[in-house]
Amino acid sequence: MKTYIDAGTTWTKILKVENNEKTYCVIPTKDLKTLNLKYNKCTGHSLPKDKNTYENEVVALANGAKKYLEDDFIALDLGSRDIKYVQYQNKKFKDMDWNASCASATGATIEMLLKFYNVDVKDLKFNPQKYSVTCGIFGLEKIMDDIAQGINPEIAISKFIHGIAFNAYNFAKNPSKICISGGFCENNCFIDSLKQYCDVIPLGRFVLVDGLMANDLM
Amino acid sequence: MQELSQTDNINKNIIAFWGYPQKALIKEYKLKYPNAKWVDLDIDFKYPDLKFVPDAYCTIIKNICNNAFHLKDKIIAILAPIGKDKCDSAYFISEILKKEGFNIVQSVFEDKCPDLSKIELPISKSNLPLKEKVEIITKNIYEQKDYSHLQEVKPSFGFWGVPPNDLDILNLFPNNTEVFGWIRAVEAGYPGDWEIETYVDENLPTVFFTQAFCSKTALAKYLANKYQGLYIDIDTIPTNSAKAKIEAFLKLR
Repeated sequence: MKTYIDAGTTWTKILKVENNEKTYCVIPTKDLKTLNLKYNKCTGHSLPKDKNTYENEVVALANGAKKYLEDDFIALDLGSRDIKYVQYQNKKFKDMDWNASCASATGATIEMLLKFYNVDVKDLKFNPQKYSVTCGIFGLEKIMDDIAQGINPEIAISKFIHGIAFNAYNFAKNPSKICISGGFCENNCFIDSLKQYCDVIPLGRFVLVDGLMANDLM
Repeated sequence: MQELSQTDNINKNIIAFWGYPQKALIKEYKLKYPNAKWVDLDIDFKYPDLKFVPDAYCTIIKNICNNAFHLKDKIIAILAPIGKDKCDSAYFISEILKKEGFNIVQSVFEDKCPDLSKIELPISKSNLPLKEKVEIITKNIYEQKDYSHLQEVKPSFGFWGVPPNDLDILNLFPNNTEVFGWIRAVEAGYPGDWEIETYVDENLPTVFFTQAFCSKTALAKYLANKYQGLYIDIDTIPTNSAKAKIEAFLKLR
């Protein structure tokens, strides 16, 4: 059996392959250390960068989304604490960027907001208005102002998420087609917001572990 | 310019410099002070930050100020490039340091290479680790050793730019990384030559590096876009994000 791990800041994505059968699962990263899992390849912030097993996250993203990259999609991964994208041209690497310095407009902030205001992600709907989240901290201030004036938290958080989607679109340099990797694929409000700006294909949370496997088999 | 004599400098033993002072000036000070120690003020010697310049300012200029003040009692003179071979910030700092009592000898080294086909770049094109290449090229400003014995290798990557404040970032690159930009111009002996500084091999995946808050960021960004390279600017020490970007670029290109 082969095991591939994407150990993110909050969530760890695991792919196990046995007899050509793939099994995926997600566990909280805080539980990862207690499991003492053995693995073939890994990526993510929360595991040591051993040169024999560790793969750079952008490389894992590119390998996992290769099919879409070769079809001129931008592959964008929006995680708990960072955002990164890769672009190919003529089936070859062209551009990338990775912002791991500010986590105030990424997944962890949304999870905290949902918990703080006791809102279910399924209740969030696309809102045509958006907050500017060039700085996520200023965006949070606007949520608080709106809620203080009587607006429902669901609506305020939706505007914030629309701002994050617009930010992600700008970060990726305004492409016409984006394939999304990461937990935001399960956030319909985010996907619908991003669709206002470009074509979007959500690829799910396991793109990086698929990329680890693809690279391992090369 | 007030020139100090050897006897005035009984306790002073350092000729300090930044960038690449004119060759004639280096020769003159080597003859005048044969026993002096040469110190490149661009380098981060980890002296305490005196906050002499604003926080959002080029780290190399911060190094110059911190080093200069820390070594002030031992510095005979500072050979101070202020032309297109260095930058405007260096001009301002040279004037400010003059007002602070340093013996500043300004230098403008904007000579153009008369025949680009004849420049020799044994270090830039060698198989030495990239960090070593950059260290040797900058040391050779005053050491002036012959490295023509180094063997040229086929490059797989290019590194364009200036010596980073934290040279360890260069350990991410393979040995057969060719050097471009200002560092290449220094090895060629023409630090202010625009043609040499802006030349890159368009077939070579190249990282275009500058220090944050440096005016060369515009040139690095322009060239990175033109040659589909990776633009990167770093302030003091590289963030994990900057290191990861370089690693990914080297693997994916």
